Amino acid sequence: MASVRFKNVSKKFGEFVAVANFNLEVMDKEFLVLLGPSGCGKTTTMRMVAGLEEATSGDIYIDADRINGVLPKYRDVAMVFQSYALYPHLTVEDNIGYPLKIRKVPPAERKRQIAEVARRVELDSMLSRLPKELSGGQRQRVALARAIVRTPRVFLMDEPLSNLDAKLRTQMRAELKHLQHDLQITTIYVTHDQIEAMTLAHRVAVMNKGVIEQLGTPKEIYNNPRTLFVAGFIGSPPMNLIPGEVTNGVFASDSFRVGGLGQANVSRAVLGVRPEDVHVARVDGAGVNLVAPIYSVELTGESTFVSVRLGGQLMTVRADKNFAGQIDQQIGVKVTTDRVFLFDGETQYRVDF
Amino acid sequence: MATVTTMPTHKRSRELFVRLSAYLTILVALVVTLFPVYWIAANSFKFDIDIFAVPPEWLPRHPTLKHYDEAFIQRPFLRYALNSFLVAMGTTVVSVGFGTMAGYALARFSYPWQWRKQISFWILSTRMMPPIVSIIPLYLFFNYFDMLNTKSALIIAYTAFNLPFATWMMKSYFQDLPVELEEAAIVDGDTRWGAFLHVALPLARPGLAATAIFCLIISWNEFLLSLIITLTEQSQTLPIGIAGRVTQYKTYWGEISAAGFMACVPIVIFAFIVQKHLVRGLSLGAVKG
Repeated sequence: MASVRFKNVSKKFGEFVAVANFNLEVMDKEFLVLLGPSGCGKTTTMRMVAGLEEATSGDIYIDADRINGVLPKYRDVAMVFQSYALYPHLTVEDNIGYPLKIRKVPPAERKRQIAEVARRVELDSMLSRLPKELSGGQRQRVALARAIVRTPRVFLMDEPLSNLDAKLRTQMRAELKHLQHDLQITTIYVTHDQIEAMTLAHRVAVMNKGVIEQLGTPKEIYNNPRTLFVAGFIGSPPMNLIPGEVTNGVFASDSFRVGGLGQANVSRAVLGVRPEDVHVARVDGAGVNLVAPIYSVELTGESTFVSVRLGGQLMTVRADKNFAGQIDQQIGVKVTTDRVFLFDGETQYRVDF
Repeated sequence: MATVTTMPTHKRSRELFVRLSAYLTILVALVVTLFPVYWIAANSFKFDIDIFAVPPEWLPRHPTLKHYDEAFIQRPFLRYALNSFLVAMGTTVVSVGFGTMAGYALARFSYPWQWRKQISFWILSTRMMPPIVSIIPLYLFFNYFDMLNTKSALIIAYTAFNLPFATWMMKSYFQDLPVELEEAAIVDGDTRWGAFLHVALPLARPGLAATAIFCLIISWNEFLLSLIITLTEQSQTLPIGIAGRVTQYKTYWGEISAAGFMACVPIVIFAFIVQKHLVRGLSLGAVKG
């Protein structure tokens, strides 16, 4: 069991800065998710912990041990790769047992441990198969089994679910969470899928352009996004981000107006409001913030997402599953004022009001 | 209700024509490549007089092993064959061994600036020079070290010409393998050398087979360097021995045919053994697994 600490870590590839002055402490037994779009430096950060990349500057610690320059085999970490990286010429049994064989665990003990782990991930009937004879989900389990067979200090997972189909992904997500809870091993998990991040993590570090934009529990990140980037990245469908101007606590963008924003004055403002905090209302209803034509209606099952035109962009509203509006029909839109966020378009930071 | 669709006649005849042309082309290619082998084999079992018979004797009417006796019992062709075998095997082992390690290093390690490209090109560029250019320096070099007429001299010289080729083949093979497999091995606790040995090398078997057979064929057939570097029966290889049967007064076609035919056999056997690997090895880069 271990904590992982990054202290002013930077990584450059030539002139390109992949990770910039990165500071983070992953607590013992914590499930921390590095979340961000492709190229934000999240995988590079993880690879530096694994020892597959060396930090250009700064220090990385596992517990009290500084691991810069330490060979991967002495770091005692295990990694699950996005492509699973199963050894195609070895059977499932030999794949799972590879880390034990390298550590010269006696064959009998090795067999016992492999059998135990295989049972845990429900692969015990497939030990003599080759990876090519397995389905995507089974391969994923082999990769997982290979990682947990020797109880490492830290688990590293690089988008391990991204190659699975949607249904299997949901199932494996639950299994992963349960497994981590059982094993109580510090885990760093990299993904660009915000649903995975929200469902799995104790804490999420949202990364962008090599830096952490925000670090917090999934709830904090969702309810209190600190920057425009985080606000736009978390949530499905994403938060409505509407550029405009705030004068004396009143936001205005075309015909859309929201009041009650304290005494704020921001010339280049962006108003953020999640689809579930916007409601459909009667056109002539009281307190309607916008009257606009419907652009599209999407029924998801438990609710309906209605997009309305607002100037040059669209605003998404979560309506009841029985919503029966037609495209181009005028509807009223009402915003829950205490659930809106205000961002400064220049600094990209949230403005409190 | 089921409907039966039949192909229009003109479409069927076009397909037949395409198929026939394909078979015809294959037939021509087979005749061109196999006829010389057949002719050598047939001649090796004929008496001298029958070799030049007009009209040609397609199959030996009075088969004889006379030329095999002359070549392999009375003359030292067995010795030449053994020399060829030792030199070819030695060259193949050394070239594939070093070529594999060099290829891996070029495929996987990081180099500052453009060094990977420069080193790779430099290695390849040594093949651009015709071998004959290096004959005199090589002769002087081996003479200086008292290595003329030795098999090791031939192995060194052949390796010099085979190694760039082996390096490039193995380099492209390793580049084709996903690097995550070795990274997984390293994170699992292996060293870089261990990952190479336990993961990269077993997966590179098709590449090794293809490279080995190329090195073997090139060394087995090599003539020019062997002609200059070796002068004694104890060190000369089959091609030199065969060429030696073209003398000032007579060309011993029967012996040449017998030895030539037997010279094909080891390579054919080796090719059969590694055939299944060869196809994958030769389609390197063309097919992504």
